[in-house]
Amino acid sequence: MRHVTVENLIDYIEGHGSDVEKSTLEGHVASCSECGELKQEFHAIISRLRDDASFEPPAELVQWGISLFQPVVQPKGVVSGLRKFIASLVFDTFDQPMLAGVRRVGTPPRQLLFRAGDVDVDVKIESMEANDRITLVGQVLSSAAKFFDNTPVKLESHGIVRYRTRTNLVGEFSFDEVPKDTYHLSVDLPEGQITLFCVHRGNS
Amino acid sequence: MAATSYKAHTDPELVALCLNGDALAWETLIVRYRRLIYSIPTRFGFRAADSADVFQAVCLKLIEHLHEVKDESKLSGWLSTTTTRYCLHVVTLKQRESASDEDIEEPPDPAKNLEEIRIETEEQQAIRDCVDELSERCRALIDMLYFDARSPSYQAISQMTGMPVASIGPNRARCLEKLKKILQRRGIT
Repeated sequence: MRHVTVENLIDYIEGHGSDVEKSTLEGHVASCSECGELKQEFHAIISRLRDDASFEPPAELVQWGISLFQPVVQPKGVVSGLRKFIASLVFDTFDQPMLAGVRRVGTPPRQLLFRAGDVDVDVKIESMEANDRITLVGQVLSSAAKFFDNTPVKLESHGIVRYRTRTNLVGEFSFDEVPKDTYHLSVDLPEGQITLFCVHRGNS
Repeated sequence: MAATSYKAHTDPELVALCLNGDALAWETLIVRYRRLIYSIPTRFGFRAADSADVFQAVCLKLIEHLHEVKDESKLSGWLSTTTTRYCLHVVTLKQRESASDEDIEEPPDPAKNLEEIRIETEEQQAIRDCVDELSERCRALIDMLYFDARSPSYQAISQMTGMPVASIGPNRARCLEKLKKILQRRGIT
């Protein structure tokens, strides 16, 4: 007995072929369990492909997502001996639910805590509705009993360093009244550079 | 747009590369999961602007939590759950905004519908992941035959791919056979 080819099976599933071809195939499939099983398998695959209801996001939105990572990229040809660490967000007041019955008046400051190895970076973002700016203050802390003083801190957006400052004697830094944007903050420590992604989501 | 050199990498490999500051690995992750993240809010009926907000929020969440997801064998589960939560968050906010004191009608339970959408979208992502494993030629053919909403004719496919019309059928069969093997290998039945 000659089995049905995959090509003919798929043609049949997709409604192609003449009536004679269809009835010949149906007759064979009815008596051949192997071809019957194959037909069911391909039918299921084609149905799944056709039922795909996913949506393609706009290209600029995808590009926005991709560009989030830009600050860590080293331009070609730039040799840097500095190790880079990406800090993880361990606490964010934005993710904390409001207490039952509490009503907000104005936008509360957003408090974030990032961690990279033994180093914690505490960041507080205060939004000023009046001039659409934010003030970002923070402190670089170590689990060891030492302070990171005079450490360079940079605020970047869209891959460009917008603001620079240095920490004070107790590791504190501040960026006052900078325009609202999605910023990445990096701290240059002797051990390497710590990058904090997205210290501001534009809604703090 | 797609970071082709990392296409074969698994999610944990890509996350590890991201944590080493590799932007190409990040691009691969975003390209791989762009549809999954965007489709959940869109299929739930969100306007384009709200779907875009959810997409951005989830991308930010992912970048903030790379350390936590580095051991996830498949990121799709984490991403779909996170996306669903953000959708619910948006729904709750909108309900609060629109609800007046007189409006005491019980709101619908969006979680039920969203959960179905989440599962379906994850399944579709799994199928697309398998299609992505095919050769460029097969991927393009499957895309035009089954994913393209314009349903191009064989003549149009022939023009776009340079494949003679008569060979589209045999090629389609070969590509679907390869896809069947990939689906079986991945345990998708």
